[in-house]
Amino acid sequence: MTASMNRRVFLSATGGAALVLAVVPEAAADARTGTAAPGASGTGGEFAPNAFVRVERDGRVEVTVPRTDIGQGVRTSLAMLVAEELAVPFAAVRVRTAEADPRYGGQMTAGSTSVRFLFTPLRRAGATGRVLLVRAAALRWGVPDAECRAVDGRVVHPRSGMLPYGRLLADAAALDPATVPVTLVPRDEWKIIGRRRRRVDNADVVTGRARYGMDVARPDGLVAVVARPPLIGASAEQVDAAAALAVPDVVAVERLPSGVAVLARHTAAALRGRERLAVTWAGGDPTASSADWLDELAEAVPAAPEAPPGTPFSASFRMPMLAHACMEPINATAHVTDDAVHVWVPTQFPEGVQQQAAELTGIDVSRVRVEIPLGGGGFGRRSETDVTEEAIRLSALARRPVKVMWSRDDDTRHGSMRPASAHTLHAVLDERGMPVWRHHAFATWPLTVAPFFGRPELIVQNGDRFRYAVPGTVTARVLPAPLRTGFWRSVYAGQVVVAEEMFLTALAVRGGLDQVALRRDLLAGEPRLLACLEAAASAFGWGATLPAGHGAGVACLDDYGSAVAVVAEVDCSGERPRAVRVVVAVDVGVVVNPSGLEAQVQGGVADAVSTVLGAQITVRQGAVVQSSFRDYAWLRIDRAPRVEVVLVPSSAEPGGAGELSYPPSAAALAGAVHAATGRLPAGLPVVGEIG
Amino acid sequence: MRIRVNGSTRHVDLPADTPTLWALRDGLGVLGPKYGCGVGACGACTSLLDGAPFRPCTTPVGDVGRREITTVEGLSPDGSHPVQRAWAELDVPQCGYCQAGQMMSAAALLRHTPDPTDADIDAALRDNVCRCGTYPRIRAAVHRAAQLRREGGDR
Ligand code: FES
Ligand code: FES
Repeated sequence: MTASMNRRVFLSATGGAALVLAVVPEAAADARTGTAAPGASGTGGEFAPNAFVRVERDGRVEVTVPRTDIGQGVRTSLAMLVAEELAVPFAAVRVRTAEADPRYGGQMTAGSTSVRFLFTPLRRAGATGRVLLVRAAALRWGVPDAECRAVDGRVVHPRSGMLPYGRLLADAAALDPATVPVTLVPRDEWKIIGRRRRRVDNADVVTGRARYGMDVARPDGLVAVVARPPLIGASAEQVDAAAALAVPDVVAVERLPSGVAVLARHTAAALRGRERLAVTWAGGDPTASSADWLDELAEAVPAAPEAPPGTPFSASFRMPMLAHACMEPINATAHVTDDAVHVWVPTQFPEGVQQQAAELTGIDVSRVRVEIPLGGGGFGRRSETDVTEEAIRLSALARRPVKVMWSRDDDTRHGSMRPASAHTLHAVLDERGMPVWRHHAFATWPLTVAPFFGRPELIVQNGDRFRYAVPGTVTARVLPAPLRTGFWRSVYAGQVVVAEEMFLTALAVRGGLDQVALRRDLLAGEPRLLACLEAAASAFGWGATLPAGHGAGVACLDDYGSAVAVVAEVDCSGERPRAVRVVVAVDVGVVVNPSGLEAQVQGGVADAVSTVLGAQITVRQGAVVQSSFRDYAWLRIDRAPRVEVVLVPSSAEPGGAGELSYPPSAAALAGAVHAATGRLPAGLPVVGEIG
Repeated sequence: MRIRVNGSTRHVDLPADTPTLWALRDGLGVLGPKYGCGVGACGACTSLLDGAPFRPCTTPVGDVGRREITTVEGLSPDGSHPVQRAWAELDVPQCGYCQAGQMMSAAALLRHTPDPTDADIDAALRDNVCRCGTYPRIRAAVHRAAQLRREGGDR
């Protein structure tokens, strides 16, 4: 590693054909203080880029994004940042998803952080390219930098004319970036950031060319499916593989910690082989039931501290387990050879997979490649490395590339679950019925896939976002999880915030108070939330009379550096409640791509309608009952409400959007059902028995 | 055996009871139709059989006979089919995994219902799950595709 690679900005002319720029994470911190000197020699730390920008001689720009697109559109929004600062037409940008590489720093796609964390570093990468190209042109013309402008992939000067970037690459790469100050394009001059931009992958998706993990096919590769225990917690004792091996094209049967794998030359044979396996399973509890688990959680809810004087009010809610049910079932392909591992997987955790491969095979991390195709949904599930473990183990045994495919019933039954929980909320009310004290006690399970998520304080910190001016505390108790649990969009906010907002609505319904007015009063010190609340209420037309049998509900959330308020209308006049309309007002700070933001909001609303009006995972006789979208009642188009997204103008730093709309949308929908029927929901879903 | 896929005759070297989805994907490398459930419960694999929507995941390849299979690749290779244009224009895909199936259901609907109502769209697409919740844009895109189709002649 040469000295120049220690620079925060690294560039090289690759044979004069391209200008390569990279920035290291520290640049982000510098830029926040406004003191960034991009070329300043790094004082320490090795070369650790988090994004590469590559300008080709023909003017095309390739951006390598160290995040995984699982439907949230980061490949588009992050490319927009670079194009803006580099002053190139967006159409000239091609996006590549980075392979796992420790030099990128963290590559985890989680917590609605991608745009938040990369907003400044990626703009700096683009801006650095721009100022160097401008300097190169200015030197050639013998004019000051300040007289030149970069526009549409060219440097222009009033008297000297114009030079396309492609003709400046070698000159720019020869410059010392330390000598060229980097300035970011001022917000009022943005041409790309903040404008609706379609996804860069659309053309591939609509023609069927887009490639997902499931589409990976390696020469001489095998497909594996795994027979998994019928009872939760059971394991294989005896395996009779004869009938499975007799299926044409089945190649092998192997035991794994997670079950028994059938490897075949093609998927249909692997699935058929799995049907023919005779496995004796041991363990598991044939009496286990999620209804009992929820009873246990309800009994474990901590007692409230002594309440101050006033009118007491309390309510209890139960929240069920949820499966991620990514549209593309979980899968991974691995090829383990004597001295290298190659993995193809749409993972939210590339560095975790790389580390895991090294640990499982004893092969050095530097010899592990992890390539990241598109992911058909993630919702937290693809941050886990269970399927890559299966693929790596099986390829090591088979000495061939192996793709492990989870079937839909595997995916529904054996994936990690969003933990169930039970909540009891207490308030003391004043004479107007307004809360003057509150306590929220709940019991839930840890996230078994992330052991640090077992501490009650951490769970409260993650889930409780209560911003209303009501003093009080939150107490959590954590019971051992009876099955695998994991991150599910919004994580614990999906239970805790929903319970808190349902409780506020319950207070309003009980006291005949207006749901919006009650929140407005309590949010006086929260201008961002208040602005969202007013925007949502006004766009909805709050206060107008609704049709008979309809109800409206409201909820707010401040999280991920963003604020949101939701007003939802539900029609309860028919046999089943029907979501009619959902208005979501969001303040996510600077919006990079309004089209992408709107899509994320719509997605969170769809999750909310699904989980409020029917979808849940239940366990009976020791096994998950649901097995596909047939019985995991996810939203379909015929029950999809109108969704209106109101952008509340904001100059705040970019906030997160991916997980923002789920909790308040769920709470608003449940509140709408409560308002329409006058019956306090027992939790989610509001129809049928919970658990 | 031979099957007709997107206008050409292809040779499949798999047993007749192989689900058509795997014959297409594993046998022929036609990867547009997606596996989402394998039991006809999600619509991700939806393709057309002589112009009518069908579920390749539950249709044995031996039952296809001489009928023409159209997958998303068969709409057009360059994205010029009205449904593809509308989908891209209205930025429908999130993860995109369900969208081939959604588009094939929409294409089939428009063949016999050139100006569909919302109720027609509900009926034709209700068995296509979109886990990402792109339904508002799907609905708008079907209407838009209908309009493009009327403007540009039949497809
Ligand atoms: S894969 Fe065919 S309907 Fe789900
Ligand atoms: S776009 Fe992801 S499932 Fe529809």
